[in-house]
Amino acid sequence: MRFGTGQSERNMSILITNMSALTSRAGRRETNKTATRGRIVAAALALFRDKGFDATTTKAIARKAKIAEGTVFNYFRTKEDIALHFFEQEVDHAIAAVQRNTRLRKAPLEEKLFVLVQTQLEFLAPHERFIGSALLHALKPGSKLGPFSPGSHALQARYLTFVQELFDDAARRGEVPRAGWWTPQVFWIYYFGVLLYWLHDTSPGKQQTLAFLDRSLKIGVTLLRQ
Amino acid sequence: MAKTSKASSAPLAHPLSGAAARTAGTTIGTILQKIYPTTTAKGRMIRLGALTAGITGSYVGYMLQRLFLGEAQREQRRKTLLTHTGRRIRDELMTLRGPAMKFGQALSLQTDILPEEILTELSKLQMEAPGMHPSLAEAQFKASLGRAPLDVFKMFEPEPFAAASLGQVHRAVLRDGTPVAVKIQYPEIRAAIENDFRWIRNTSLPIQLSGHLTKTTLDEMESQILAETDYVREADNLTFFKNHFGPLGFVAVPDVYRAYSSDRVLTMSVARGQHLDAFLATRPSQKLRDAIGSRLFELFWFQVLVLERLHADPHWGNYLFNADGSIGLIDFGCVKAFGAGVIRRMRKGILFSGDFDSPEFHRVIEEQFTGPRGKVSSAGHRAIVSGAARFYRRVYPPDRPADWTFDFADAAFLRELARFAANGVRARIAAPEYVFLMRAEVGLYSTLHRLRARVPTSAITRRLLANT
Repeated sequence: MRFGTGQSERNMSILITNMSALTSRAGRRETNKTATRGRIVAAALALFRDKGFDATTTKAIARKAKIAEGTVFNYFRTKEDIALHFFEQEVDHAIAAVQRNTRLRKAPLEEKLFVLVQTQLEFLAPHERFIGSALLHALKPGSKLGPFSPGSHALQARYLTFVQELFDDAARRGEVPRAGWWTPQVFWIYYFGVLLYWLHDTSPGKQQTLAFLDRSLKIGVTLLRQ
Repeated sequence: MAKTSKASSAPLAHPLSGAAARTAGTTIGTILQKIYPTTTAKGRMIRLGALTAGITGSYVGYMLQRLFLGEAQREQRRKTLLTHTGRRIRDELMTLRGPAMKFGQALSLQTDILPEEILTELSKLQMEAPGMHPSLAEAQFKASLGRAPLDVFKMFEPEPFAAASLGQVHRAVLRDGTPVAVKIQYPEIRAAIENDFRWIRNTSLPIQLSGHLTKTTLDEMESQILAETDYVREADNLTFFKNHFGPLGFVAVPDVYRAYSSDRVLTMSVARGQHLDAFLATRPSQKLRDAIGSRLFELFWFQVLVLERLHADPHWGNYLFNADGSIGLIDFGCVKAFGAGVIRRMRKGILFSGDFDSPEFHRVIEEQFTGPRGKVSSAGHRAIVSGAARFYRRVYPPDRPADWTFDFADAAFLRELARFAANGVRARIAAPEYVFLMRAEVGLYSTLHRLRARVPTSAITRRLLANT
């Protein structure tokens, strides 16, 4: 079989060119979408910080991001979805920080949990004012930001699964007994407690939170060991 | 023989019911410790309470056992008990850090006064206190300097190589390849110190009311220890001493890298030398021990008499010794700057050659010390006169030739010093300005005793008094 006459070679070459053009166009489109999404989130966070969560409108977000208001809705249905997206980033970032840190693999459970929470707090630190108002908003009935709301279910599931993995790993290594199903749930509530403590902490460099986090995790893991 | 060494290193086995007595004292404490963290005043109080109860329980058990044991077994049991007690005290003080750990470090310097087994365990407080885990140390560094250690240094060791009562020290390398030591402070150590002092003030109320411990002394101790939490101040101290130790020629003080330092992080050059135990393990000659002892002695009195400012944290982890006789001095957190006239008044008593019972010496006493109602009582005068005659006249005789040396190997002088201190407390003598000086002085004598050094004490002091 002769492979590739002049015509078919040309066709093949056109096909490859078109495909790569399509791929690169799709890639470019995806890149553009990610950039736009990033612009919306950055604009929203700046407004949440300056004007407060409740006073910020999607119109203002669009103006700040220099896009049409309709474009905002292509990405996020409400400003709560923007906030939720930010918290998803926070969780993904913290999980990745624990997973990436090779030294942590042999570290005790309390240190892994410390890094998880501390990384979350560091991620939130530039947006501290917004976090306070978002927490208040989360307490409203029906808020998508509520820690146990259906809207934040995916985020919560991702976080709890990872926490469960950390506990399971510690149990496999004989560090703590196998934790009950409720342990990650308790940790989830604990995290919100730490968040409130952190928001109220006015010590330089959030010293009190560091000490609180360290000691409370040590006590928690010691109690688990009992 | 093998049995003996095993028994002393293994966890203590209490026959009869020694364990029961100990357990009774500690069970409630252990439960309460789980509830109250060590940063709270209650938590710290509970830990110390449980420690006391546990030790008392152990001794009750031991006393019961004694009745049924032979002489050899009794001695073995006593040694095991002391080791266990020392380890227990050390572990608790390590957990508490701050002033509690400083107290343990001070206790560990009481060579020849406390049992050897307890001293061995307490001396580990000098260098082996448990630190922050690497992630907490890194978070603390970042919270203080705004950047992670690896964004600042070419290399940073996550595990500390030395621990202190208020922080821990890591090895690191600057971008230009210079090795440095980075001291990172425990978060919220200031609150822990304040809690400890609140507890000390409350529990020591009876001895405060009786006049054995004055409020001014407690204030002095608290403000000095709190000052140690400011690493900017420590950096200033390092610079001061580096600039002023020049005339001595045998002391090395680390350089400060201020660009990588803050109030909670201190980056310094690495000091050269071995800690006392490691140095003594090299079996230094008597000549070298004498030389180093004389230099330590001169270093102490040079600071007091010439600089009127003293590195007042005498624990052994702060001194580094070299085979060429040079000394490295580190950790300048606790520096006592003496108020106006304090050293001038003190000079009158040093190498005092007259009769200690003379009106002249009694005036010296009145100038330097106070008593329960302001004035030193007659019992106080007697205690100082007797202590000066039995201790200072022996260690600092004013009329000896230049080549005369005092042999610090003889432990009798430490017992005299302890008796002097006890009589002083009993007679309710106070001298808040001297609290840290006395602590450093006791530390100096303990180190000289361990070095078994022979020092021309009078000649050195005479020279320094004459030159200033």
